[in-house]
Parts: sequence; structure tokens; C-alpha cells
Amino acid sequence: MEVMMKSRKLLWLVTFAAFSIVVALYVFRNGEAELSQKPLARVSAIDSTKCIAPKEFMRANHMQVLQGWERSVVREGDRVHIASNGSRFQKSLGTCLGCHNNRLFCYNCHSYANVKPKCWNCHLSPMETP
Amino acid sequence: MIEKALKGNRSYWIWTVFLVALIASGLSAYYQQRWFGLTVTGMGRDASRGMYTVQFTFFIGVAASVVMVFLRQQKELTETVIVALFMAASAALMSMLFVVADMGKPDRLLNIIFYPNPRSPVFWEFLFLSGYLATTIIAGWAMLGAEKKGVQPPEWVKLLIYLSILLAFGILAATALIYSCLPDLNFWLTAVLATRFIASAVAAGMALLILVTLALKKTTGIDTGKEGREKLAMIATYAGAAHILLLVVQLFTPFYSNVPLIWFALIIGFVSVILLLLPSSKKSEPLFAGACAALVLSLLIEKSTGLLIGGELVPVPLASIVAYVPTSTELFIAAGIWSLGALLFTALLKVVVSVKMEHVG
Amino acid sequence: MMNEQRREFIKKTTLGVFAGLGAASGLVPAFSLEKTALPVWDEKPVPGKIRWGMLIDTRKCKEDCQQCIAACHHEHNVPAFKNRREEIRWIWKNSYRNVFPTADIAGVSKEIQNRTFISLCNHCADSPCTQICPTGATFKRWDGIVEIDYHRCIGCRFCMPACPYGSLSFNWEDPRTEIVDPVTAYPTRQQGVVEKCNFCSNRLVKGLLPACVEACPEQALVFGDLNDPRSDIRMLLESNVTMQRKPELGTKPSVFYII
Repeated sequence: MEVMMKSRKLLWLVTFAAFSIVVALYVFRNGEAELSQKPLARVSAIDSTKCIAPKEFMRANHMQVLQGWERSVVREGDRVHIASNGSRFQKSLGTCLGCHNNRLFCYNCHSYANVKPKCWNCHLSPMETP
Repeated sequence: MIEKALKGNRSYWIWTVFLVALIASGLSAYYQQRWFGLTVTGMGRDASRGMYTVQFTFFIGVAASVVMVFLRQQKELTETVIVALFMAASAALMSMLFVVADMGKPDRLLNIIFYPNPRSPVFWEFLFLSGYLATTIIAGWAMLGAEKKGVQPPEWVKLLIYLSILLAFGILAATALIYSCLPDLNFWLTAVLATRFIASAVAAGMALLILVTLALKKTTGIDTGKEGREKLAMIATYAGAAHILLLVVQLFTPFYSNVPLIWFALIIGFVSVILLLLPSSKKSEPLFAGACAALVLSLLIEKSTGLLIGGELVPVPLASIVAYVPTSTELFIAAGIWSLGALLFTALLKVVVSVKMEHVG
Repeated sequence: MMNEQRREFIKKTTLGVFAGLGAASGLVPAFSLEKTALPVWDEKPVPGKIRWGMLIDTRKCKEDCQQCIAACHHEHNVPAFKNRREEIRWIWKNSYRNVFPTADIAGVSKEIQNRTFISLCNHCADSPCTQICPTGATFKRWDGIVEIDYHRCIGCRFCMPACPYGSLSFNWEDPRTEIVDPVTAYPTRQQGVVEKCNFCSNRLVKGLLPACVEACPEQALVFGDLNDPRSDIRMLLESNVTMQRKPELGTKPSVFYII
């Protein structure tokens, strides 16, 4: 019983430490050089617990979604995806992979379907990340 | 009709196998280029254009110039029209292949169609060239079919030929625009360039066409007519003379006269034009063929060294001239594309010859 | 036995919490890829409202300093090919004669002629490279930046001789083999595409200054909106005599030099 209590305390402690590291990182981020002109950096956090679209839709259409993102970000500067439930996401491969953070997330399915996406010719593949 | 290209005598097959072997070696060289990248060529940051561009420009001229035959609708040239159409198609195919060989990402070729930039002469060039390839090959094929049946070709063939004439001028204009769109290259930034392009293209195209009809006569006995050839020679002579005049004018601009081989090209071009003007060349076939070949050679040299080196290598690196030398990979790929064009032309001519033979026999 | 299990449990849960928090805040993804946080400019930009420009005070630039080049090339995973033929450069140093070949040299002092000048893409208002690109892969952005869409480039290289400033580099071979110290926050390029300076559009969107501007120890580089009359760069342009590269070609560069 006592051991359990101890471990729970430890858990809280570690959680608090993790939280403070995150906060510290956040502060450090804002500490980097900024444009002297407005607008100043106001980087808002994403909520990656939500999905940008239902699983079934993404399974069939993720390539169209990614291609649409690529086009609107690069060509029009439209960088924010607004999901049907109103939550906002940065249009970035990193947004997808920040949540689907299994290294083999892309690879498993693509290798099964024998699809060779060209994304990783330039973008860093999750297979190669440190 | 195409099955007629599959029947032939021994020398026809030796020639075909020779071409196929060259195509195969070109393909293996191209595979190497795809794998390692364009680093296998002699091009680099200071000479970003090389042999492929030269060949592309040369064959675009050859392809487009052939419309001179359609423009002058004379009796002497009616026999030449089909040969000219197929030569235009083969040359257009070759210049398209040289564009593809020059690309870093040929798998994205269709981006030119999917995401066209209407301000870009390169886009128009591509559009006109593919249109030209289609119109010439369809028109030639329809005319051949009509000849086989012994009837007049349908009316729409005439329309296609008119369309191809328009496209040919579009091609030449777009090519010249590409070169003069490059603001820092002083030698290409000249009003003479487009005119000279047309003149040299017509001269080279006509001279090549004469050589082809002579070869056809020698190997198969099918003659498109001496008068026709003389008409072609006349066009080639005038165009060649105009080209030489414009080149001499340009030689007065600084540095251009220092381009290697340009004087050589000028001299043999001059000699060939004089030879074509002489009445004795009309009598002696070897002399006639030699003069035409010299004219083609002169224009090829002028295109490769004059245009490319004159345009590219002097001004860009600012006083540091970097020599461009094509590598063997480049040469093999170029030879492969030449052979592919020659194979297509041979096959099409074989069908032409077979159809004509049927009528003779 | 019990202890080991518990230790394992703690390890897993804490890591899980940590990763979950990190992913939720977008700061520490489970593996570090490009950062996932909403950008500063999260609304769709108005074309032509901003025109980014740069002013280079060459008097402050130290001859043997390479910090801007190092910062830029590190930030963007620019490969370090040693031979001149395959060299890839986004920002580099050059002599007066090479940077201003058409400028009058008679009245220029020896000191200036021996100075090194930073060269980079001029992000011209009237850019020849975007005009000749058949697919629109090299294009003019809404904010005046001339950007290359690496997804679209077909590698025809017509933009290279079109640029009078030699700003474009072609990937003659796979660049990934020659990247010295790769960063994960920015993609690489691939064999067969053209690349060049992007005015750090990847940093601007996060509200950061370009890497070269930030790296310069002498503050010789000033970056800002040329369309905003109250911006630092506009005030400096008004109070100094400046030069552009090859202005006679009519490309209207967005990069200015104080000599």
C-alpha cells in the first residue's frame, strides 16, 4: 500500500517535471529572435487529440488531403486546416506524424499495398528520424 | 499499312538492327543518367545547357523548316510532300526526346500540361511541338493511305497541313523567344536571332531533305524528281546565304568572333552555298550531295559552338570561361535519340516505298 | 520482481504522459519532425500586401566571416558539394566586380573593390526565372518572395541562365549524400530539381527573421516589408544611398546594398 502511494507521488512529480519542461520549452521558443515589425510571434498550440477527418475518409483520401495541403500552403499561403468540428490544424506532414507517431505508421500500410510514395525523397521519413 | 515496314531486304534489316543496337546503348546510358543524375553529363553550374539543347534546337529547326515544301505548292514538289511530312515528324520526335533527356525529373514531364505557365515560351514550345508531331504524322499517313487507294487525299489533310504550317512558325518563334528571354546573355539578346533561326533552320532542313531523297533514289530507285530537288536546293541556297549574312553581321559583335570553330563553320557554309549556286553541281550528283552535307555540317557546328558557347559561356561566369565537353554518356544518349528518329523515319519511308512500288509494279 | 514491474510501469506511464503532453502542445512530438504549431500568419494572405526585402550594409560585413552562409545552409539542409560544377548555394560571397559587373568601376576605391559582397536571390519584382518556368514551379508569392515549388519542378533548368544573378543551383546528383549536419525541421531537396534562397519563408511564417539576418554578428543585414513606409528597411533606404544589382535589366530586385 505504502509502495503504491510512493509510486503515485513519484508519478505526479514526474508529470509536473514534464509539464515544467514543456513550459520552459515554450518560453524558450518565444525567446528566439523575432521580427521587429508586427505581427509578433503568437504560436498557438495544436490540439492533436482530435482527428482532422474520420478514419475511413482518411484511409481512402489521405493522399488527396496531403496534396491539397501541399498546394494551398505552397501556392496560396493558406496554412490552417479547419476540421468539420471546428478544430484547427497546421497543414503540415508534421501535424499528421505528431499524432500518428508510430515510426511504422506510413510504412506498414504502404509496404503491404506496395505503394511507393515520393514524400520521403525530400521530407524526413519517420523511419529515419533520430 | 505498317506491316510493310516489317518486310525488307538484307541491307534494310542490317540498317534496322544497327539502329536498334544504338537505341539500346542509348537506353542503357539514359538509365545511368536517371540513376546518378545529370552529373554524368558534362554540364555544370556555369554551363547549364549542353549538347541536348543544341540537338533540340537543331532538330526543331529541321522539323519546322520542312513547311517550306508545303508552302510552295508546286508540281515539282508534290512527290516530296509525304517524305517531308515524315521527316518533320521524326525530327519533331527527336527534339522532344532531347527535351526529355535534358530534364532532371522527366517523370514530371506532364506538369507542363497540368500546370501550364502561359507566360513561358518553353510551355508554348512544348505545346506547338507536340501538336506539330501529331499533325505531320497524321497528315502524312492519310496522304499515304489515299495514294495506296489511288485517290485524292481527303480535304481535312489540307487543313492539317495548314495547321502544321502555323505550328511550325510558332515553334521557331518560341525557340527564339526562349533564347532571348535570358536577359543576361548578351549574345542571345539580339533581334537578329529569331530571323537567323528561321534562315538556318530552313537551310538545314532543305539540305537534309535533299540528302534523304537522294538516298531514297540510290537505295530503292524511288525518285521524287530532280526538279523537286533543285527547287529544294534553291530554297536551301537562299536561306543559307541569308544565314551567313546574318552570322557575319553578328560576328562584328565583340567576343562572338572568338568562339571556337565558328570561322570553320562559316567557311564551309560559304563554300557549300557557292557550290549549290554553280550550275555544275546540278549535273554532278555527288557534288550536289556533298554541298548539301557541308551545309548541314556547317549549321550543326554553328548551332553547337556559336549559339551555345557564344551565348552561355562568355558572359555568365564573368570573365571565367568554363569549357563544356560532352561526356560519353551524353554522346550515347544523343546517338540513341538520333537512331530512334532515324528508325521511325526509316520505317515510315519503307511504307512509302512499298506503296509506291505497288503502283509501279 | 514486484520492483521491476513497478519500475517498468512508471517508465511507461511517465513516458506516455510526457509524450502525450508534448504532442498535445505540439512542442515535443514523439520524434522530432517539422514543428507542428499554428503559424503566425494563420489567415490567408492578401496578395501584394507585403513585399519582403533586404538591405545589406556592406561596410559592416567582415571579409572572413561566413556566419550568415553557415546559418542559412545549415537551416535549409543545403548540401556542401566541393566542386564548382555541382556547387549548390543559397547565399554566398563574391567580389565587387562579380556582384556589380555593370556598375561604374572608375570612381570606386580600392578598399571597396577588395571588399566581399553577400549575394543571394534578389526576389525580383519582375523576375525572369518565373517567366520562363514552363510549369510555374518557380513562382512569385503573395509576399514578393520568389519561391520554388519543389513538388512541381521538372528540372528543365531554363531558369538558371534566365537569372542574371546566378542565384539558382541545380541538384546534379542526390543532395542528401553531401548534407553535413542535417536538420529535421526543414526538408531536403532531391536529385533533378533546381533550388535557391527562399528568403526564409519557413522562418517568416513562424515570426522569425531570416537565418542570415539573425546570424550576422555585425547586424549588417536588415530585413523587412518594402511596402510598409514605417518599416526599418524603408527608413534606412530613405536615409542612405543604396544600390541594386544590374538595375538596367529591369528586374527590380528586392535586395539593396549600401556601399
